[in-house]
Amino acid sequence: MDFLGFAATQCLNALSQASVLFFIACGLTLIFGIMRVINFAHGVIFMLGAYVGYTASAVSGSFLLSLVVAPIVVGIVGMVFERVFLHRLYRRRDPGAYLMVTFGLAVVVSEAIRLIWGTQPLGTGIPDFLRGIVLVLGQPFPLYRLFLIALGISAAVAIWQFLDRTRAGLLIRAVSQNAEMVQALGTDIDLVRTGVFGFGCALAALGGALAAPLVTAFLGMGTTVVIDAFVVVIVGGMGSFLGSIIGSVLIAFVQVVGAYYFQELALAFMYLLMLAVLVVRPGGLLGKEE
Amino acid sequence: MPLLELDGLSRRFGALLAVDTVDLRVETGEIRAIIGPNGAGKSTLFNLITSVVKPTAGRVRFANEDITGLPVQEVAQKGIARTFQLCHLFPALSARENVRIAAQARDQGRWRFFGGDAVLRRSAEQADAALQRLGLERHADALAGTLGHGDQRLLEVAMALAQRPRLLLLDEPTQGLSVKETDHTVDILKSMLADRDLSMILVEHDMEVVFRLADFVTVLHRGRVLADGPPAVVKESAQVRSAYLGEFA
Amino acid sequence: MNWKHGFIGAALLCALLPFALPQYMLTIVVEALIFGLLAMSLDLMVGYCRLYSFGHAAAYGLGAYACGMLLKHFALPLPIGILLAVAITVVIAIPIAWICTRSTGVSFAMLTLAFAQLGYAMLYRFKEITGGSDGIDGIPRPPGPFNIAWFESKLGYYYLVLFCLLGSYLLCRAIVRSPFGTVLAAIRENEVKARSLGYNTRRYKLATVVLAYGFGALAGALYAPFAGFASPELFFWLTSGRVLIMVVVGGAGTLVGPILGGGAFLILENELSQLTDSWPLIFGTIFIAFVMFAPQGIWGLITGRFGRSAIAASAARTEEAPDAAA
Repeated sequence: MDFLGFAATQCLNALSQASVLFFIACGLTLIFGIMRVINFAHGVIFMLGAYVGYTASAVSGSFLLSLVVAPIVVGIVGMVFERVFLHRLYRRRDPGAYLMVTFGLAVVVSEAIRLIWGTQPLGTGIPDFLRGIVLVLGQPFPLYRLFLIALGISAAVAIWQFLDRTRAGLLIRAVSQNAEMVQALGTDIDLVRTGVFGFGCALAALGGALAAPLVTAFLGMGTTVVIDAFVVVIVGGMGSFLGSIIGSVLIAFVQVVGAYYFQELALAFMYLLMLAVLVVRPGGLLGKEE
Repeated sequence: MPLLELDGLSRRFGALLAVDTVDLRVETGEIRAIIGPNGAGKSTLFNLITSVVKPTAGRVRFANEDITGLPVQEVAQKGIARTFQLCHLFPALSARENVRIAAQARDQGRWRFFGGDAVLRRSAEQADAALQRLGLERHADALAGTLGHGDQRLLEVAMALAQRPRLLLLDEPTQGLSVKETDHTVDILKSMLADRDLSMILVEHDMEVVFRLADFVTVLHRGRVLADGPPAVVKESAQVRSAYLGEFA
Repeated sequence: MNWKHGFIGAALLCALLPFALPQYMLTIVVEALIFGLLAMSLDLMVGYCRLYSFGHAAAYGLGAYACGMLLKHFALPLPIGILLAVAITVVIAIPIAWICTRSTGVSFAMLTLAFAQLGYAMLYRFKEITGGSDGIDGIPRPPGPFNIAWFESKLGYYYLVLFCLLGSYLLCRAIVRSPFGTVLAAIRENEVKARSLGYNTRRYKLATVVLAYGFGALAGALYAPFAGFASPELFFWLTSGRVLIMVVVGGAGTLVGPILGGGAFLILENELSQLTDSWPLIFGTIFIAFVMFAPQGIWGLITGRFGRSAIAASAARTEEAPDAAA
């Protein structure tokens, strides 16, 4: 009985982590699908979401509001960045330029966060109505993590339906398969790109705002996370939405198992995992390749 | 002993059998043309020979050696050079440097960090010779990316020549060329054969070029060898006619 | 102006520099030279082979920590300590390079970052040896080559570093102009074609990464006894970022550009940090501007009239004739 309960809570633990990972990885993979760009700044965007979320909930007193404000604000920041910078690089066929520019963005945003919010980790903690323990098979489990799982599943379903059933979703899928064709048919590709980039950033920011109560908003949370998200995208397949779901769950489970059995290597584990994935499959598993 | 032997070579892409059990023999000193409607599998065949793509069945033998599945660069080192359908060059390097790099590829000294002056000189001389052969000397210092389409194709041939290959694979060498440029290319290819121990396989759509150059013609249709023989014979073949016309019907 | 003249002129200028500057600036100038060397090492990868690395700090950190530990715990003479540190780093770099060169583009960059982060994590994991977040303290500055005590002084050390920088530059220049170096240019331009000509491009890339790590480690090994300590910050991604910024803004693919860029940035950074706390913000913005509008970097812009640097030519190519290469 004890073991079953333990296993159940560990699984739920992994799923809650997968949720947060999903928000970041999904954005990353959608952006890649549309633009063939790996947004190196995605981790920092996540971090920005955490900080903006913190401020929003500290100022307004409402956690739920922060979940709305953070994605919107950061989404807009993302769209502006895309319009002003990335947009100009499309005619250049040099993939290195994207890498450099998003890297520059990572540095600038990272620094801006430090200037605005300071170096101390910030956290308002878990909001009262989500605090509390739930009993799962006799074992205690934080309510907040269940909330994360629920939100993650709802988002995954919502995005899936959006991509599958709506005209906008169809457009996005079309552009990621053959941008030129869609453009020839009269659609404004640029708008689609800007929109998807903003959406991807918004998702990552949401992930950040959700993670903040758990881990607090701190400088440097972006770097680890961007590698995690990158591993998820590689494992699941660059550009594959389904892959981002599968990848998030897989990686989260590996992380949880790893943290439990290889405690001491915890920090190094993620990197070793990524090395392993890239060594075995340098080009990626499913989905579109670079 | 044939220089190149393809035995039951096949390549499948999912549901599509791009190359279907192809048998081919090319002798030393021979010019072979491979023709066929679009999508017949001609470029895939080249990719299989040069190991850009690995076969799903069959083997490739070169000079009596099984080279199936070897890494791309090793196939080149064996003496097979190739040009591409979409011109592949080093655009930001000068024309001379393009050819020099090609000439250097099989030089023992290509790994040198220091004391490589002899290697550089050697390959530069070979490059100049090749450029002259193709009539490109006047472009030697121009950046390859700035040359006109016809000159770029010729430059690619110069690069292949500089590799001193035993087998030269040319993928649509006259595509996009004017009549004058086409004649020029054909003359050069003919002269290349005259004074060296070289074999050539040409993928071509231009039938005039095929008849002027080729000793033998292989017709590919939907991945399979439809006909194989001297140009005159192939030309008369009813099967070949219907394959071509059938595509346009 | 002949290249040799330029080199001798620059060398003389640097040799005379300490006498023109106030004493307190000497420390900064030494660090500037070290950073110039580090930037040049990355240029081998980024500028000549287009291998973007987000983890070059690893080379720097490895060199610094190795040298620091050797000097502190084994009381080795300075040149031995430095050379051993470089050798150790090169040995470690080989498997790293082997793994990283299995991928290209973003994956390559991510792998280099992962290794640097791994190094950073390892420092904390083995804190008994590495001192954890405190790093290694009290690294001695033993008497320099041939046991000459003068090298222990700041001025003496300056000339030691200058010598290493100039020597490394000459070495790198020779490498880049050698047959090996010409192949790097070909790989940068069109790796597929290079391979189809018969070059084992993977091996060339591997060698380039190892070389870059070697020279980067030299910079780190020179830094440790100078500063007297080595800290985990050396492995941090922002350190890698700074080097990358210096290379691109200085002028990738020119060797000289990154040296100047590295040096200038370090000096600027020092001046700026007195005025404002946010120099990374400024540098980051400058960096983005250069990537967008002047990818050939400062040195590339300056020498544009006499010859095009590698990146400039490529950038121009991609804008002029997008259909020239498949």
